[in-house]
Amino acid sequence: MIKFKVIEIANTFGVHRNTVTNWIKRGVLKAKPVVGRKYVISENDFIAFAEQNHIPRRTLEEFIKKNKIQKTEFKLTKEDQGFSNHPQEPSPKNKYRETIMNTSRPVGSVLVLGGGIAGIQAVLDLADSGYFVHLVERSSGIGGVMAQLDKTFPTNDCAM
Amino acid sequence: MDKCIACGLCAQKCPKKVDDEFNMGLSKRKAIYIKYGQSVPLKYAIDPENCIYLTRGKCRACEKFCPTGAINFDDKEEIIQLNVGAIITAPGFKPFDPSILDSYAYDKIPDVVTSLEYERLLSAGGPYMGHLVRPSDEQEPKKIAWIQCVGSRDTNKCSNEFCSSVCCMYAIKQALVTKEHLSGDTELKQSIFYMDIRTHGKEFERYYEDAKEKGVEFVRARPHTLEPGKDNRGVIIRYVDEDGNVINDEYDMVVLSVGLEAPKGAKDLSNIMGFDLDEYNFAKTSSFNTVQTSKKGIYVTGAFGGPKDIPQAVTEASTAAAEAAKLLSKARGTLTKKKTYPKEIDVTCEKPRIGVIICSCGINISNVVDVKELVEFAKTLPNVEYVENTMFSCSTDTQYLIIEKIKEYNLNRLVVAACTPRTHEPLFQETLRDAGLNEFLVEMANIRNQNSWVHQNDPKAATEKAKDQIKMAIAKATLNSPLKRLKIKVNQKALVIGGGVSGIVSALTLANLGYECILIEKHSKLGGNAWNLETTYKKEKIRPWLNAQINRVENHPKIEVLKNTELKEVTGTIGNFEAKVQSGDEIRNIGFGAAIVCVGATEYKPTEYLYGEDPRVLTSFEFEAKLREKIIAPEKINSVVFIQCVGSRDKERPYCSRVCCTHTMEKAIRLKEKNPDLQVFVLYRDIRTYGTREKLYKKARDLGVIFIRYTLSNKPEVRLENGDLVVLTTDPIIKLPVKIHADYLCLASAIIPTNNIEISDLFKLSKNTDGFINEAHPKLRPVDATTDGVFLAGLCNYPKSIDESIAQAEAAAGRASIILSKDYMELDAIKSFVSDNCDGCGLCVDVCPYSALSIVEIQDQDGTIKKRISADPALCKGCGLCEATCPKGGILVHGFTLDQIEAQIQTLLAN
Amino acid sequence: MAENFEPVIVGFLCNWCAYAGADLAGVSRLQYPPNMRPIRVMCSGMVPPESVIQALKLGADGVMVMG
Repeated sequence: MIKFKVIEIANTFGVHRNTVTNWIKRGVLKAKPVVGRKYVISENDFIAFAEQNHIPRRTLEEFIKKNKIQKTEFKLTKEDQGFSNHPQEPSPKNKYRETIMNTSRPVGSVLVLGGGIAGIQAVLDLADSGYFVHLVERSSGIGGVMAQLDKTFPTNDCAM
Repeated sequence: MDKCIACGLCAQKCPKKVDDEFNMGLSKRKAIYIKYGQSVPLKYAIDPENCIYLTRGKCRACEKFCPTGAINFDDKEEIIQLNVGAIITAPGFKPFDPSILDSYAYDKIPDVVTSLEYERLLSAGGPYMGHLVRPSDEQEPKKIAWIQCVGSRDTNKCSNEFCSSVCCMYAIKQALVTKEHLSGDTELKQSIFYMDIRTHGKEFERYYEDAKEKGVEFVRARPHTLEPGKDNRGVIIRYVDEDGNVINDEYDMVVLSVGLEAPKGAKDLSNIMGFDLDEYNFAKTSSFNTVQTSKKGIYVTGAFGGPKDIPQAVTEASTAAAEAAKLLSKARGTLTKKKTYPKEIDVTCEKPRIGVIICSCGINISNVVDVKELVEFAKTLPNVEYVENTMFSCSTDTQYLIIEKIKEYNLNRLVVAACTPRTHEPLFQETLRDAGLNEFLVEMANIRNQNSWVHQNDPKAATEKAKDQIKMAIAKATLNSPLKRLKIKVNQKALVIGGGVSGIVSALTLANLGYECILIEKHSKLGGNAWNLETTYKKEKIRPWLNAQINRVENHPKIEVLKNTELKEVTGTIGNFEAKVQSGDEIRNIGFGAAIVCVGATEYKPTEYLYGEDPRVLTSFEFEAKLREKIIAPEKINSVVFIQCVGSRDKERPYCSRVCCTHTMEKAIRLKEKNPDLQVFVLYRDIRTYGTREKLYKKARDLGVIFIRYTLSNKPEVRLENGDLVVLTTDPIIKLPVKIHADYLCLASAIIPTNNIEISDLFKLSKNTDGFINEAHPKLRPVDATTDGVFLAGLCNYPKSIDESIAQAEAAAGRASIILSKDYMELDAIKSFVSDNCDGCGLCVDVCPYSALSIVEIQDQDGTIKKRISADPALCKGCGLCEATCPKGGILVHGFTLDQIEAQIQTLLAN
Repeated sequence: MAENFEPVIVGFLCNWCAYAGADLAGVSRLQYPPNMRPIRVMCSGMVPPESVIQALKLGADGVMVMG
């Protein structure tokens, strides 16, 4: 088995990473998702696919050598086993339970609702101090009411 | 979305016009649109409710014209499940809709607009491009009125009992900006119809006085009816003036200063998330934790927590961020990713090999400038090894192309002729790093913003200009050298100066975020002014909370408390300060990475109203103390008089002390509740119970507290008559003098900044004319001081209530923790450096605005001692005044050296 | 002066204000004559007087320092 990241294939094949994702989605590249945003594919499938795409033998061998899973490493984790028959991502609900079970630590990400000046400041502060932030805004641009203001006291600066 | 380059063709071709909500419906936009010109992200969006294709199945015009194929009609709403540790809600507010007030006929008279609509009328990006006209006939209005408290402080026509806090100030601002717009016209008149003017923020009062001086008219009246003028143009305002006369006055235009209501969907949000709302549908919070909703892990910031102005909203945003960070401090850094780059190739000894990318920017550039000609031209220039024209040089695939070509042609410099470096230089710098080159080896030629967009009618001259720009960029890039961003190690410890409420909260927040801190206090006791207060405006008892906090601070393993200690000396800069503190005779050195200044302020000791002469005349604090100690028993006395604005809002201190009105309301209510027969008088100028504090004002009136207004020119008089304390004033309604026999007189005296002089000298902080320490930006950086790495909280910044001090203290701690969270700080590389030509004459030292330069003595190789300049990169901002001053080229700025400037001029003017 | 005189103007633009302003002029599509050649500097105070003289000596018809 070969374990790889999308970007690795993209670089080797000289295509955009979205192209690789599309290949996998369409089943052209017969890979299955595993943890850590990685995919696995059987060696034969991979070689066949690479040959179709005229990838030089040397590059191919290098890639296989680099990404081949050692026997010991290729132990399916509990999560992989549970979903090995379904190539989709594990359902978010169970994923959540998993994290709760695996760790007593809190989740290091924050959801901020509203992209006005208050939301923006909160997002910047959190991102600057080491948290992953999701900013959700109803409209197609951030800025809120402050962006609508002509000028602001006391500098009469444009509110932008 | 990644493909959209915001060229705007789609909107140009879209046949469907709809009201533009950004301009409050005053203009039209298309069904494919960006919210506004500077919108982030700058990507066009399809409005599914109005798109002809999505509603009727035919059109797709935008798809046909989009040059990048960015239109995706199949994009569907999807549910995304996120796993997060905390939620911050910042849905904002809803401007009050005045159409329910039938007497103001907002939807019938075209020249009655809301303040937000007026804001758009003034804006250069608005429907009339900043040319102020009224909606009915698009003529310039000469006479404009603002009506305050529309949808605020009104339980009669709507149920918004609260004050919206911001309308007085924005109305004054709009009146003054209007004056600028129509300057030169002497016939102008701006009138503001108000109940109380509430300019309680920093520098607000001065702005109000300035407006009065500049001729803005302030009319104390609440107009009851608006009627259309002739031909439905203009507006007739009917109101009753202070003398009781009914007046009909015609204005060209009326602006309704609409209030701030809880946002639409507030109830849904609270139901989904399970937190409580207050009686006005704002999120319910406590004074001691202004961002925490009733549900743990969910925070609120901005106007959803109650009406507030921008600085307060920004402060509380930092507070909420700090609270969330506190909750998740164990998981900090677990989900963020760190990017890695290939090892940097050393190119210093190589001959320059320049790659040139010429961008078409869709057709933004290529429509005007002949890009093919540019390519051919660039190929002829010295050191150029590779030239390519790309459709969009900022797209992801171009970045791959650049990396590939750098390797293929062994390039060591890059010139991108495209848009402005102010937005896109960081992108190309990143690409260079990905390619293993130093990020400062890229140079941009701005052939879009400063060429094709501004010379659309002269393609030939534009192309010539573009050639010059490319030529100059190449000349500069040839001389670019790899630069290192200076890294300084951060001392991950904070110093908090002042042990009042702000200091205590700052220290606790920092400690709970996981950082060590030292709290120094001048006196022997922590707590400061808060010991003089009884309850918050939300009726929470202050003393038990304060005791608990002090206990926590003194026993926290990460906090060291130094009492009877003063700060004596500060050196160093952000990330790395050193201070000397003195406790008794002992002097100690402390190192820290960030400081929070919370030195507080004191109560003004009045010299007026017989204060100090008669024991029954007390300041607010003293009155509170006597009540607490039961020396004043409300049951046993007959009358108490409060005088507001003692030492505030006068010539000497032209600022509002912000908290006194609310404090007086609290006391008056307590007195009345203990003894309903007790007569309580409040002599005031404007009652400033902003926000939901208005509730207290209403309650005081309901309980029978008597409010009598006085003016600065006609202050009350206090005298002794046969040993009786007598207050004389004039009632403005009955227009007769009033004489009150008072058992006690409580003076709402000002908050004065007495502790700021030394501290601002030590940290080089700037103060305003009243002596309060300034923030780095009054709107956008309200807790940062003007010196990097120093933050502000509490009264030293401006008078504020205890809940506001707590919020600011937490925000300051949160902001400081951003610095402390880093092991190393990276500074910008555009800094001054000293060359071998320097002879230590010191001319540059005087011109440096950041005190970054000093004269040092160095030993030469042969042992002689020489003078030279030393530049501190942590202080230098790269402005280059030194470079222009130095007569010998002894000090230069990286990236902008004399050689580089000269090279550009020389190349340009060579022929 | 000749009727079709096209001067060459060297402009020093402060990165924080004049250069940003010139960018905004572009965003707003304000049209102006194409005779000025912008040089970005970090502050108008950075422009060495020698460079102004150098530009004039080399034949520039005008120098603008904007900040």
